[in-house]
Amino acid sequence: MPTQPPLPPLLAPYVSSLPPSSLIVLSTVLGAQGNWLTLRYLYAALNASLTSDAALSFGEGHNRKKQKVVLVSFLRGWEFWRAEAKRLGLDLARLTDKRQFAFVDGLSELFAGPRTTPTPSTPQTTTQTTPPSLAPSPRGGPVPQRTILPNRSAPSPIPARGPAVAAPAPFAPVAPSAPPAAPASREVGPVKRLHLSGKGPAALDRLEKDIAAVVGHLNGRAAASAEGEDDSEVLLVLDQPDLLLAATGPGKEIGATEMTEWVMGLQQYVHATVMTLAADLPLIHNASAAGHQMPTPLETEHAAFAIGSAHRAHLVMQLRDLDTGAARDVSGVLRVSKGGAWGQSDNTDANGNWEEKEALYFVQRDGGVNVFGRGE
Amino acid sequence: MAPTNTSHRQTHNLLLISKLLSLRDTASPLALVLDSLEQPATPLIKEYIRRAKLSKVHITFVAFETLKPLEGVDAFVAARKKSPLEIIKAVNEAYPNVSTSGPSRRRLILIDAINPLLHARRTDAQFNVSSFLSSFLMPHGPPTASKVEASLVVTFHQDVPSPPLPSPYTPSPLSMLTYLATTIIRLHSFSHIMAQKAARDRSLVPPVFGLEEELDGVLLGRLDKPIGNETAQGVVLELEHRRKSGRGVLEWYILPPASRYPPQYAKEIVTLLDDHPLYRPPEEPDFGAGEEEPESTFELRLTDRQRRDREGVVLPYFDAQQGDGPGEGGRILYDMGEEDDFDEEEDEI
Amino acid sequence: MSFRKRNIGLSTGGDRTASVNASAGLQQATSTAAAAAAPETTPGVRPSPDDGRPTTSTGTPSLDNILAGHGGLPIGKTLLVEENGTTDFAGALLRYYAAEGVVQDHRVHVVGMPEQWGRSLPGLIGPADAVDDKQDKRKGERMKIAWRYERLGEFGAGIAGSRATSGDQSQPTADGSPDKRPAFCHAFDLTKRLTHPSITNLNYIPLTPSKEPLFTTIHKRLDAAIASSPPNTVHRIVIPSLLNPTIYPFESSQPDSVLPFLHSLRALLNTPGVRATAMITIPLSLFPRASGLVRWMELISDGVIELCPFPHSADALATSGAATSHEEPPQGMLKTHRLPVLHERGGGSDQNVGQDWAFTLSRRRFEIKPFSLPPAEGDKEGQDGAVSGNMPKKADLEF
Repeated sequence: MPTQPPLPPLLAPYVSSLPPSSLIVLSTVLGAQGNWLTLRYLYAALNASLTSDAALSFGEGHNRKKQKVVLVSFLRGWEFWRAEAKRLGLDLARLTDKRQFAFVDGLSELFAGPRTTPTPSTPQTTTQTTPPSLAPSPRGGPVPQRTILPNRSAPSPIPARGPAVAAPAPFAPVAPSAPPAAPASREVGPVKRLHLSGKGPAALDRLEKDIAAVVGHLNGRAAASAEGEDDSEVLLVLDQPDLLLAATGPGKEIGATEMTEWVMGLQQYVHATVMTLAADLPLIHNASAAGHQMPTPLETEHAAFAIGSAHRAHLVMQLRDLDTGAARDVSGVLRVSKGGAWGQSDNTDANGNWEEKEALYFVQRDGGVNVFGRGE
Repeated sequence: MAPTNTSHRQTHNLLLISKLLSLRDTASPLALVLDSLEQPATPLIKEYIRRAKLSKVHITFVAFETLKPLEGVDAFVAARKKSPLEIIKAVNEAYPNVSTSGPSRRRLILIDAINPLLHARRTDAQFNVSSFLSSFLMPHGPPTASKVEASLVVTFHQDVPSPPLPSPYTPSPLSMLTYLATTIIRLHSFSHIMAQKAARDRSLVPPVFGLEEELDGVLLGRLDKPIGNETAQGVVLELEHRRKSGRGVLEWYILPPASRYPPQYAKEIVTLLDDHPLYRPPEEPDFGAGEEEPESTFELRLTDRQRRDREGVVLPYFDAQQGDGPGEGGRILYDMGEEDDFDEEEDEI
Repeated sequence: MSFRKRNIGLSTGGDRTASVNASAGLQQATSTAAAAAAPETTPGVRPSPDDGRPTTSTGTPSLDNILAGHGGLPIGKTLLVEENGTTDFAGALLRYYAAEGVVQDHRVHVVGMPEQWGRSLPGLIGPADAVDDKQDKRKGERMKIAWRYERLGEFGAGIAGSRATSGDQSQPTADGSPDKRPAFCHAFDLTKRLTHPSITNLNYIPLTPSKEPLFTTIHKRLDAAIASSPPNTVHRIVIPSLLNPTIYPFESSQPDSVLPFLHSLRALLNTPGVRATAMITIPLSLFPRASGLVRWMELISDGVIELCPFPHSADALATSGAATSHEEPPQGMLKTHRLPVLHERGGGSDQNVGQDWAFTLSRRRFEIKPFSLPPAEGDKEGQDGAVSGNMPKKADLEF
């Protein structure tokens, strides 16, 4: 299979240059996850900004502002996104370092809180490697030396414990790509971990504040920078915020309306928002199918949130399994539809030149994606 | 359908929709717009705003799910995180209290979606849709010198499931709204209506779209170009209006897309759905009165002379019935006409 | 209040990200180089033939083989096994998974089960000779059968074929592993009891009522147990029959109770440096797949497998399907709804996707093979061909 361009041409109009204050809903199902598409949004925003200097000099990108991305992920950790973005040629760690990207971790401590149990892991490696990375931590405050090390220790205790023969191997390839300590240390700031505490809208407000702080951090930095690019646009990517709703629900006084208002609140801070949602049959249709049985609150709230979001969206990208069953060379179907908010603005430019479309896609093993029409 | 009926509908019902959309004579204080993902209310709302602008009506937009004010809106009230009382207060304050401007001013209050409010946890059990909505129409406080005629247009997303009712005996919010509303407008996508009509005309099961497909992962079914009908754009309005007299009117209209007419266009652009050329193609002028013949590429009609000639032909079995004996009869008796080309060798008579 | 919260969040955020960076820097190479090196130090972990990420065996070779070409369950992933009906095939899978962990000196955490459960783990037969034997045989067989049939058999069997594109490269490692390294997967006998020095090491997490919500307690104990173990330990978290009302209190099936737990579990497994996998079973008869709750549990899990056992009285199938073959009749269907890593990346590109699987539980193994309806009675030759798993054995007998 030939390697695909990072942005399939058929997809390009929908992922790049999103209209201001727009909401893109990306609906997925169990068997057709949208991470590849989320990554395309990251790519379209960040890669363009990588080359924007060149574009500016040619006078071509005069209306292309510098784009920054805040990714809030509720189901996937930093490691996943970093590794997958790498396959697209995006170095998220470096972009974080350049204040073009910020990752907000909604997975690690959302419900459980920080791991407070001390790890008796390898004190000597701690002293070796971590102080340089911790010292410049801008907001760290008193940094307890505890929770760090499970992950450091994965590679580092190897020399300490001895049995490994191939110990130096992991270090070798790293060195050329990035000097390990220095850029890493500056990354500390924006990687924010969300923690949900309390009940109801107040709990959501706290999350909103945390995310807004990260957005503000990106923006503020840009304004302060010597390049004077204070007109940068921030793209907010919310990866499965519906988890929050599912895992809290009416018992915690969080419902579809509260979630919608939370998302609206976040939208106000940024240029455009991309949100992935689950649109599985049980989550959408159990609530509406009259008569078959009482829908559970989870289903009702989820359906209300998902459908309500589609009403608010300018564009709805729907991923689903192939209707005819799985195939080896097709991963799923992508249907692009205009959402309920499309056409609210009279400005045709703001509406984007989107055309509704249905296409098949195939995610290759190397991470490349092929998007093609039926029968092509 | 009798032609008189059609013309009656054309005049009366078009007048009605025109009055309703332009908010003339406060024909309807509370209009309920029922939309769905397949046909969002945006085009209709924009049409309301356009007409209100033309007739200089003050527009207040109560936004439960919109972030940016639509163009042409005079006052934008963000209802996010507000309690019903706060919303009422904000809306009432939004109207400039310049009572000197005219004897009676009109105002239009648009609510972009009532669902979030019905769904919100912050609305307690005491919350009542009817009192909430009527408080817009009849604001409390000192009666101002000029009576403000307010019209309320409320959008309700039909496809968003409603939360369980607080009590099994209370009516659902939707039935409450439909009961209160003087005008109910259900929106349909014209291309879907066309597709369903086409299927019904062939006695097929009408197709369903979007959520109704009940497919895993499908929220929206709308596609720009439905097969074969690129011009089937527009919004179909299914109007149900309760007159003051109590009589109900039910009519289907079509609102063409906004790009088809200039924003300042003052004439009525809405037409009856039945008058739309795509929905009901104009019939061919009839040949004979009432006698319908199947359409065919062959010319099956006969002229009078041809018919007479045909009747004149004596078919062989007539002859054979006369019993002239074997061998006789069964011949075609035929009088040569002038147009017949007689060939001595082939045609033996 | 808010200050305190915030402070905690920030400081640990600092910590964590430092470590994230560390891993970011270091693990950039992980997927290729480091992973290859790591398993040398830990038994029962090997790099995936697909992308080199460390994987561990589920204890069931044929289950390992359908996991999207990774030849096992990748470290840090959860597998949700759903079962219809009242049978306990999923329990057998869990026991293999736990037993494999015991044999490999992994730390096994069992949630909600008494210690008897650990004592009933199946006895060790040896390295998974069953599978290796079979693969060897197939290799030898290549000489004998015509090329196109050989290819057919391989595809049908799904064992070698599951490696799809990288199949050829992966096979040397898979096959070579018994020689160079300790076995990756073992075979167990369900009728015997496992006796292994480290079986006492099983960590039982009982469901004792306390002031805290049940799942918070479980999570804390898991977290503590993982945090307090030596850093390189590989953990296996076994959660049998989640939400089963005979084990779990009824309020645990509230979404705001079980979903945060699964989410935290996912977070725990994704913590850099923690090397753990989890296998969870859930009774579908009580919690049907069509419900939103179960769908969310599936969405939080990395892999979802559904077992649909055939009704017991399926004599017709038993006689017609397998009378002639030397295999046992399939006891049920297995559906893969989601596979670790593969679906997270976007799905597709795995030839096992969309395959119909049948499973057979015998004394010695839980076998998963492609499901095919047997040909009509009397068509013996066709039948032999159709039950593809049969091919090597038959060949074995004849030559």
